[in-house]
Amino acid sequence: MSATVENPVLPAAAEAAPPKRPNTLARLLREPAAAFALVLVVLVIGAALLAPVLSPTDPFDNDLSLAMQPPGSPGLWLGADSQGRNMVTRVLYGLRITLLMGLASVALGGGIGALIGFAAAFYRRIDGLLMRLMDIMLSFPAILFGLALAAIFGPGIQAVVLALSVATIPLMARIVRGSALAVMGLDYIEAARATGMSDTRIILRHVAPNCLSSIFVFATLRFGQVILLGSALSFLGLGAQPPTAELGAMASDGRNFLFFAPHIAVIPCIAIFAVVLAFNVLGDALRDALDPRLRT
Amino acid sequence: MAIPVLFGVMLVGFLLMQVVPNDPALVRAGPSATPDVVAALRADMGLDKPLYTQFGLYLWRLLHGDLGVSIINNVPVLQELGNTVGPTLELMFASLIWSIPIGIALGTVGAYRRGRLVDRLITAFAVAGGSIPVFFLGLVLIWYVGFKLQLLPFTGRGGPLWTEEGLTAIILPALTLGGTFIGPVARMTRTAVLDVLGVEHVRTARAKGLGEFRVVTRHALRNAMIPVVTLIGLQIGFLLGGAVVTETVFSWPGVGRLAVGAILSADFPMAQGTIIVLSLGFILINLVVDVLYAALDPRMRA
Repeated sequence: MSATVENPVLPAAAEAAPPKRPNTLARLLREPAAAFALVLVVLVIGAALLAPVLSPTDPFDNDLSLAMQPPGSPGLWLGADSQGRNMVTRVLYGLRITLLMGLASVALGGGIGALIGFAAAFYRRIDGLLMRLMDIMLSFPAILFGLALAAIFGPGIQAVVLALSVATIPLMARIVRGSALAVMGLDYIEAARATGMSDTRIILRHVAPNCLSSIFVFATLRFGQVILLGSALSFLGLGAQPPTAELGAMASDGRNFLFFAPHIAVIPCIAIFAVVLAFNVLGDALRDALDPRLRT
Repeated sequence: MAIPVLFGVMLVGFLLMQVVPNDPALVRAGPSATPDVVAALRADMGLDKPLYTQFGLYLWRLLHGDLGVSIINNVPVLQELGNTVGPTLELMFASLIWSIPIGIALGTVGAYRRGRLVDRLITAFAVAGGSIPVFFLGLVLIWYVGFKLQLLPFTGRGGPLWTEEGLTAIILPALTLGGTFIGPVARMTRTAVLDVLGVEHVRTARAKGLGEFRVVTRHALRNAMIPVVTLIGLQIGFLLGGAVVTETVFSWPGVGRLAVGAILSADFPMAQGTIIVLSLGFILINLVVDVLYAALDPRMRA
């Protein structure tokens, strides 16, 4: 058993994970809420990817004669927005932008954060300095990053992604450092060191794969939070600018017509709620499935 | 901890002023000013000095409460901030005063009835509550309670809280902001109480025949409060974000709405002032949480 792990010729990191997977998935699907969330996440991602195929119209096609048509009108399953654009199309494209915004922020912030976390766990001399820096970053709420960066760079999606990434860095760094430190104390790392493996190799081959589950759980949960924050910034007018189809910006537009055509604001809101809820439930379930010790 | 953070806030504020697309001296001098006048004003404002000197000057002015004037309406930033801080604090207070007790109660019941239907319902409610966009809740309340039922006002602040207008005007904003806070509080309380319920002194309390209510409130909840307070403190940033959105949705005249308006209209001095004040507020709240922490846990007082 242990011989395969020790054998450096085998791509241990890549092959250690797959056998576990059906197990995790099975455990995940046993919980009905989690199974539902997983289906929802897959559907939402699929809808966003296939938006150009699924959409009945172009996202910027407007027909003012249809403006504010309620859901269920002929040919307009979800109605039309204030400019007479088909809401089905707008929501599909809105999902696209909103999910991309979340993905970019979690990937960028999480990537940098993970690097910092590994560095802090591996090089104990810079650990204190790095973690103090992370503490300082952590003491600013994400909304302030959002406001400040929108003020500096001007409102826009870039400012939002940057702000959410910056706010994600210290959180990911802490998680990764914690789980990397737990692994670093184990004998096989000592053994890898003794064989003269390089630091990078030890981190990539032996430390990182063992931190993947915590990274994955955190990224899933963070994705929901980031979408919540990002759509709020867009709602405030600091993120995606009209006529871009972004769910928060769409809700903001709908706010002006709340009393005549509530669906314009409510439909994008429901979409955001569903996405965030799905990722939150899935994240919780993943945590329970991957790390039963944390189960409450 | 607070000192480097404070310095960071000021640095961000300073950098913000550096990227202003138009020359502040030019703006202040007005369009008809001669180049000589502008140059004199530049020297007067310290704009011809090296950056680090400017930063020093800026800190000096900041510490003396000089945050400049709004580009849009020439009102001193400090004065505008003075008018908006109160309403923001009012809104936060009104939101927390009902949502924290409810959140703690729900979390305690959930932990006590762990795994039962009540617990599952509460957990589901808490997760859903933590996933709902603040503006969604706000817009639904405005549409239904404010517009359909015509029950409560939904724009602006009605007046001081002790008047009827003031009190009715704050209900919907406070329900909105507090509503998104119940979920996180309930979840944190549930986890904290679960940890404590299994502890020996709770078993002892049971063994000596104390009533269940007394065991839970006196022995379990009291110890669970320490992590709960810390976690609530950590969520204050979340609350601040919610406040900015809630103020915008309800046209509540607070700092958050001022900040958003200033950023959207590129009123840099005002934007800078609001960001500094919001950060300061955040740092202060964290200090308060630390003090509370010590009050709850005598071991921390050393």
